[in-house]
Amino acid sequence: MDAMLEVRGLHKRFGGLRVLEDVDLAIGAGEIHCLIGPNGAGKSTLFKLMVGTYEPSQGQVLFLGEDITARRPYERVMRGMSIKMQVPSAFRELPVAQNLQIALQRRLPISEIPADQARLLALLDLGRQAEALAGDLSHGQQQWLEIGMALASSPKMLLLDEPTAGMSPEETFRTGELVQRLNAEGMTVLVVEHDMAFIRQVAQKVTVLHFGRVFAQGNIDQIVSDPRVAEIYLGKSHGE
Amino acid sequence: MLSSLRHLNGPQTMGNGPAFWSGFAVLVVAALAYPLGFDPYDVGNAAYFLIWVFAALGLSLMWGYTGILSFGQMAFFGAAGYSYGVISINLDATGGLTLLSFATAVAVSALFAAVLGYFMIYGRVGGVYFGIVTFATTLALAAFMGQTAGPEWRIGSARFNGFNGMGGMPPLELPWFGGPVLLEGTVLYYAVLLLLLAVYLGLRVLVNGRFGNVLVAIREDPLRAELLGYDVRRYQLAVFVIGSALAGVSGALYTAWGQFITPATMGLPSAALPIIWVAFSGRGDLTATLLGTFMLLLGFQALTVYSQQYALILMGLLLLVTVLFVPAGFVAGFGRWLQGRARRLAARGA
Amino acid sequence: MFAELFSIAYQFADVFAFLILSAAGLAIIFGMMGIINLAHGEFITCGIYVTVIGVQHGLPLPIAQALGALAAGLIGIVLERTVIYRLYDRPLDSILATWGISLIVTQGMLVTIGSTWPGIGTPAGSFQVGEYTFSTYRLWLFLAAVLVMAGLYLLYMKTSFGVLSRATIQNPRMARALGVRTPRIYAASFGIGAALAGLCGALYAPTMTLIPTMGVTFIVEAFVTVVVGGSNVLLGTVPAAVVLGVIRTALNAWQGQIIGQIGMLIAVILVIRVLPEGVSGWLARRSR
Repeated sequence: MDAMLEVRGLHKRFGGLRVLEDVDLAIGAGEIHCLIGPNGAGKSTLFKLMVGTYEPSQGQVLFLGEDITARRPYERVMRGMSIKMQVPSAFRELPVAQNLQIALQRRLPISEIPADQARLLALLDLGRQAEALAGDLSHGQQQWLEIGMALASSPKMLLLDEPTAGMSPEETFRTGELVQRLNAEGMTVLVVEHDMAFIRQVAQKVTVLHFGRVFAQGNIDQIVSDPRVAEIYLGKSHGE
Repeated sequence: MLSSLRHLNGPQTMGNGPAFWSGFAVLVVAALAYPLGFDPYDVGNAAYFLIWVFAALGLSLMWGYTGILSFGQMAFFGAAGYSYGVISINLDATGGLTLLSFATAVAVSALFAAVLGYFMIYGRVGGVYFGIVTFATTLALAAFMGQTAGPEWRIGSARFNGFNGMGGMPPLELPWFGGPVLLEGTVLYYAVLLLLLAVYLGLRVLVNGRFGNVLVAIREDPLRAELLGYDVRRYQLAVFVIGSALAGVSGALYTAWGQFITPATMGLPSAALPIIWVAFSGRGDLTATLLGTFMLLLGFQALTVYSQQYALILMGLLLLVTVLFVPAGFVAGFGRWLQGRARRLAARGA
Repeated sequence: MFAELFSIAYQFADVFAFLILSAAGLAIIFGMMGIINLAHGEFITCGIYVTVIGVQHGLPLPIAQALGALAAGLIGIVLERTVIYRLYDRPLDSILATWGISLIVTQGMLVTIGSTWPGIGTPAGSFQVGEYTFSTYRLWLFLAAVLVMAGLYLLYMKTSFGVLSRATIQNPRMARALGVRTPRIYAASFGIGAALAGLCGALYAPTMTLIPTMGVTFIVEAFVTVVVGGSNVLLGTVPAAVVLGVIRTALNAWQGQIIGQIGMLIAVILVIRVLPEGVSGWLARRSR
C-alpha cells in the first residue's frame, strides 16, 4: 500500500535539546494510525512537523510521494491534509454556522455552502446550535465542531491531535465511531492520543514514541500486548 | 455582479435590516440636501470632515476586521498628499490631469504600503511590533519632510518646503461638457459624499463576503485560519494595502481641498487621531466607525475653536477610557444596545 | 589628532548617556510587566519641571534633582495602582492607553502653566581639548549613566528585591505561589521606572529649554533603545545603547540631528525585522 504521509529521518532540536531523533514513519492510505507515547515523548512535536508549524532540523516529510518539508501549513491543507490541533481553536467569538462556512468557502462557491453546512451540522449533532457562538458550546462539542471544520475541505487525510481530550467516556466512544465511519468511507486518519480506550476502539496501526525515538510499531494487538510498551508507561515491568 | 449586492448585508456589519436601511436612506437624503440650507463655508467644512472618514474606514478594515493595528495611516495620508502635490504641480494639471494626479497619488501610497507591508508581513513581524514599525515609519517620514526646507529639496518644480509645507497645487477638476468643473465648495462636497458612499457600500460587500469571512478568521485565530487552507499573509498584505490606500485617498483629497500639505499631519499628535476615532467609534464595525468618526471630527472642531488644548485633552481622555473600559467602542456599543431594544420591542409586539 | 578622537569619543559618550538614561526606566517597565509606557516622556518632563522649579525656589541643584526623580516615582506608583495594573501583558492596549495619558498631561500642562517656562543654566562650565571646547556637565551625565547601570545591576542581582523581581518576570504565577506579593513588585517596579525617567529629566534639566511637550525629545530615543535592546534592561539596553550610539553619532556628524533621529527610526524597523526580540532576546537564545 502506498504511503499517504511519510516522514524520513526526521530530527528536531531546540537549541541544545533534542526532541526527535531519526524518526521514520509511514502512514498508508486508508489507515487509522495512532501515535502514542508517554508525556514528553515528542508526539506533539512530530505532529507539528507533519502539519508544518515546525521545521525539521533534518529529514523529510512527504505527502502522496511529494516532498512537502518546505511547504507551509496552508499549502499542505490545500494538498489534502486536514488538521485539528490539540488546543481547542474553533473561532469562539463567531457562530457555529459561520465557523463551518469559513471552512467550507475555500472549496465551495457560496451557493453550495448551505447544503454542506446542514450535512456537517447533522453529522456533528449540532443542528440546534447553528447560531450559537462556538465559545458557548461545551468542550466536547467544540472538539466536534473542529473535526467538522477539518472535514469541510473533503480532505484525503485527517490529522487529529488529542481529539478526545476533556471528553466524557461516552463522547469519546462516539468520536471513535465517527472516526471509524469516516475511515469506512476511505479517509486516512492519524490520531495522537492518550486515551487507551479510544485507541483500542479505532486503531489499526500504532506507533509508540519514547524520548523522541520510535520505540515500537505494529498493529494494535501487538502493541497492547508488548511488555516493553507497558514498561515505558508505568516505569516498571508489568506482569499480566 | 448583481449577486454581490446581497453581501451589503451580512455577519460582519451591525445594521442589516429594513430599519437600518431606512435610517440610512434618511441620512443620505439629509446629506444630499444639506447644501441647500447652509452657506458655502459650512458646506466646505462638511466636505473637510468627510475627507477624513476614508482613513478611518481603512483603519477599521485593518484593525477591527483583521486585527492588524497600523499606526501608519497618517504616513500614507502624507505620502499621497505630497504625491498629489508633486504630480499636479509638475504636470501643471487642469481638468482630467488633476484626476490622473489624484489616482496616481493614491497608487503611490498603495505601493508604499505594499512594500512596507511585504517587508513586515512576510518577515513575520506582527502584533505590537507591527504597530511599532508603522509608528516609527510615520515619525520618520514626518521628521524627514520637516527638514526639506532648502531650495534643493524639490521634485521638478514642486518644492517640499520643510515645515512650511507644500502649497500651490491645483484643486481637482472634473472634465465636463461645458468645460472643466472645479471641485470646490458645494461641488467638492457632493463629489466626496458620493465617493464616500461608494467606498462605504463597497466595503460592506467586501467584509460580508468570502474575503471578509477570512479576515475575521485571521483576526480571531491566524493559525487556525491558515490550517483551513488560507494563505494568511496574502490576505493580511491585501488588507494592509487597501486600508492604507484609503488613508491615501484622504490625504490626496485633503491636499486638493486646501491646496496645501505639511509634515505636521504626519507628526504627533496628528498621527494618533485616526486611532482615537476608530477605537472610540467601534473598530469592528464600518457603520459605527463612519458615524463615530464624523461625530468626533465635529466635536473636535467645535472644541478647537475654543481651545485646541482642551480638544486634544478630550481626545486623550476618550482614548484612555475606551481602551480601559469600552474596548469595543462607544458608538458600536450604542448600536448594539439599539439592536437589543429593537429585538425586545419586536418580541413583545409579536 | 588626539583632540579629534576625543571629540568623537565625547560625542559618542554624550549620545550613549542620553540613550541609557532615557531608556532605563522604560526598559524596566517593559521587562517587568510587558507594558510599553508612552507616557514615559511625561515622567521625564515631570522630573525636568520639578528640578527647575526647585532650583528657582532656592534649592541646590542635586537636591532639586533628587526631588524631581522622587516626584516622578511617586506619581508613577499612583498611576500604576489606578490605571496601569489593568494593562499587564497587553502591550498594544498599553501603548494606546499611555498615549492617551501622554496627550492629557502635555495638553493639560500647556493649558495650566503655558508653553514657556524659564530654564536654568548648565553648571560646571567647560574644558578644552586641543581646539575644541566641551561642556563638563555632559561628561558628568556620562558618569551618571554608568552609575545608574551599576546601581541597577546591584539592585537586580544583589538584593532580595532584585531576586524577587527577576523571579516575577520569569514566572509570575510561580512567584505568587511561593508567596511573593506580585502587586507590590509591579507597583515598585513601575515606580522605579518612573523615578528613573524623572532622574533622566532631572539630570538633563539644566541643559534644556522648557516646554510641556519636551517629552517627545526623549521618548523616541528611549523607545527605539528599548525595542532594539529587548526586555532585559541589563543585557539589552546597554548593548543597544552602544550600537545605536554609534549609529547616531555617525549620522549626526555626517548629516545632522534630524537625519540622526531618522536613522534611529530606520534602525528600529530593521532590528524588529531581523531580531524580533531585540538584542537581549537574541543573546538569550544563543546561550541556550
